[in-house]
Amino acid sequence: MTELVAMERGQRARAASGLRGLLRNQAISMLLILIALWVVLAFLSPFFFTVDNLFEITLQTAVIAIIGAGMTFVILAGGIDLSVGSVFACSAVAGGLVFTASHSLALGLLATAAAGALFGLANGLLITVLRVPPFIGTLGMMGIARGLALILVNGVPIYGLERYKFLGQGKILNVIPVPTVIVLVIFVLGFLILNYTRFGRFTYATGSNAEAARLSGIDVRRIQIGIYGICGLLTGVASTIEAGRLGIVQPAGGNGYELLAIGAVIIGGASTFGGEGSVVATLIGAIIVTTIRNGLNILGVNAFWQYVVNGLVIIGAVAADQFRRRR
Amino acid sequence: MSGIQKSFFGVKVLRGVDFDLDYGEVHVLLGENGAGKSTLTKILCGAYRADAGSLALSGALVDLASHTPKRAEDLGIVTVYQNFHLLPHLSVGENLALGRFVRERGFIRWPVVNDRAREALARVGLDLDPQIRVAELSVSQKQLLEIAIALSKNAKILIMDEPTAALSRKETEGLFRTIADIKARGIGVLYISHKLEEVKEVGDRITVLRDGQKIATLDGKEADLKEVIALMIGKGLAPSEKGAGRRALRPAFEARGLRNETFAKALSFAVGEGEILGVTGLVGSGKTELARALFGIEPLEEGTFYLDGEEVRLRSPRMAVGLGLGYLSEDRDVDGLCLNMGVKENVSLALLAKLRGLFFSVAAERRTAGELVSSIGLKIAGLSQQVKYLSGGNKQKVVFGKWLSAGCRLLILDEPTMGIDVGARGDIYGLIRRFVEGGERSVVFISSDVDEILEIADRILVMAGHEVVAELDPRATTKQEVLQQASRLGAARGTA
Repeated sequence: MTELVAMERGQRARAASGLRGLLRNQAISMLLILIALWVVLAFLSPFFFTVDNLFEITLQTAVIAIIGAGMTFVILAGGIDLSVGSVFACSAVAGGLVFTASHSLALGLLATAAAGALFGLANGLLITVLRVPPFIGTLGMMGIARGLALILVNGVPIYGLERYKFLGQGKILNVIPVPTVIVLVIFVLGFLILNYTRFGRFTYATGSNAEAARLSGIDVRRIQIGIYGICGLLTGVASTIEAGRLGIVQPAGGNGYELLAIGAVIIGGASTFGGEGSVVATLIGAIIVTTIRNGLNILGVNAFWQYVVNGLVIIGAVAADQFRRRR
Repeated sequence: MSGIQKSFFGVKVLRGVDFDLDYGEVHVLLGENGAGKSTLTKILCGAYRADAGSLALSGALVDLASHTPKRAEDLGIVTVYQNFHLLPHLSVGENLALGRFVRERGFIRWPVVNDRAREALARVGLDLDPQIRVAELSVSQKQLLEIAIALSKNAKILIMDEPTAALSRKETEGLFRTIADIKARGIGVLYISHKLEEVKEVGDRITVLRDGQKIATLDGKEADLKEVIALMIGKGLAPSEKGAGRRALRPAFEARGLRNETFAKALSFAVGEGEILGVTGLVGSGKTELARALFGIEPLEEGTFYLDGEEVRLRSPRMAVGLGLGYLSEDRDVDGLCLNMGVKENVSLALLAKLRGLFFSVAAERRTAGELVSSIGLKIAGLSQQVKYLSGGNKQKVVFGKWLSAGCRLLILDEPTMGIDVGARGDIYGLIRRFVEGGERSVVFISSDVDEILEIADRILVMAGHEVVAELDPRATTKQEVLQQASRLGAARGTA
């Protein structure tokens, strides 16, 4: 085999392996940055490396990581979903209402996930059938979902979600937090789908070159609807964890989560042009995003500054990526 | 230029090349892909920096160490780009004046700008309204506009890289007349092309590069084509085996009464089993549109398709793939390949699209791709090498491989050898012949290169003005006849 696939041209092959090396390094270098971040924070604050705080980071990561997993599919396929923050709130509110009316936890959770998935599918249809650009389509959906969340409960949070709590606060065998288990399950599934299913391969192909994918016989529209559906569904799932953690559902919740989720994917090293990236990288990205937030909290930095820092980190990550590509 | 050397990543691309260009001559640079043609011209126009060597212009030494595109332009060394660096939404005049608008108190003086544009256009024989938008121009008009822009920069040396790649025969002749004018005004032209015949026609001198070295400089009028090819590839070219009179008996695929926006007059034809059906015509004759209609990309108003005599539904690329059709488009980078994905992923794409089920076997994919790569002679560093790092010929083989692995039975090839060097071209022809060998699979081969069509096709359809105007037997026809047929309707329309 290796004899058959002879090197093409020294220069090209070397450029290729050099870039692949860098890409591989991207995940590794992100891991190193994460560790460096931890070390610095541990020096700056005695509270950082406490069991309680690490537990807190895990929990905070869970929500962003799960939305980020969905966002990975969208960005890999060359799209973007700005509506996740609002969809997060609206699907949680819808599920919360079903739960209070039916007193069935299963129905409540199912309704949350279903509402999220429906919003996602609606995004997908907007983009494929009405041909609205993803940026605009999901921006519109951002407004619609937020408005619906506020209308459904008249702007008032839903209380009394005690039975949600095991999702956010429960521990399996008294050790492993339930949200962490959910994250692991979702990421293993995400990894399997992206690497071993036709849908996953077509997601990459759509992001890499949608027209080439279409002319190879792939139903690109179905892929696009699918990825937005997955993103919406996972956003709904993430909202149940936060509801479980807080015990309430707020129609104003999830504010700015699109920034964090997109940040997790981009910081993980996915290409903003689609076709390159992985869920594992997104998980690292989500932990970095959360660590920064947590660190700023612990250091007593004004919460408003967190938005600024998050924005800067995302822009920095993309700028670094562009720089890397130019070379 | 003398003793020019250049390495990339430690690989020597130019090993001390000497090259000279007189004012008022066309000097052609020939060589296979990777011979160093582009590198040499890029050093001349300042895009790359030479590792060693010197450049002298009109006897005065130019400092190569500080040579930049801007300085090259100031010296009168101007490149005519082949990939059209024009702004489509601006007017012809605006494109010509870009960056050098005539202003008065900060406002652009449009009458002056347009007058100058008209002058510049006249110099290349273009009679155009400067206010027309570039998007509305034909490919050849854009090409001439590029030359006009280059000339308006007071060019002394004009670099043309494959200027006729997208032009028909007639348009090429027009371009050659313009080049003759340019020469007459004492401008030196450095001309790069893959089309050997036109090189002889346009070139005063021909320099052949191979592996970063100058092999020979020949007189353009005396050079022998076979000798030139031999110099380029460094070995004798295998004699082409002409289709040995295979006449298909049973039609494998038939299209009847195709009509849509492009094809006002209904179009019908059949492809036989084991047949290579050549389709040729000038640019704009409807060849590509035909390919796209066959593959379900362009919608049809009317028309039926038959596969082995049975009517089939073919209304989308997905259905076409399902029926066993494959399509190699004119521009493989735009709609043939996922450039940042690996070779393996690209060759399995159409097969995966045809399969059903959720999961697929990664191991089987690797095995199939590996076998395929060796059977089509693809030179790659590894199965996961990103396709964007491959040469044009190897990229085309990847697209070919995609359809082979999908078990395709009718391949529609649109200009499959465009921009591909002589050696790789032979490989592609070999693949096509092997594809139809068993007599079960067929090919529609679309090309504006008549020599190529005559060599490879079993039967030739000539298109003009979105119609099939002639069906010819390649063994009983001549290039002359094909070209005449191709320009027949076009000429009639031109006078109407």
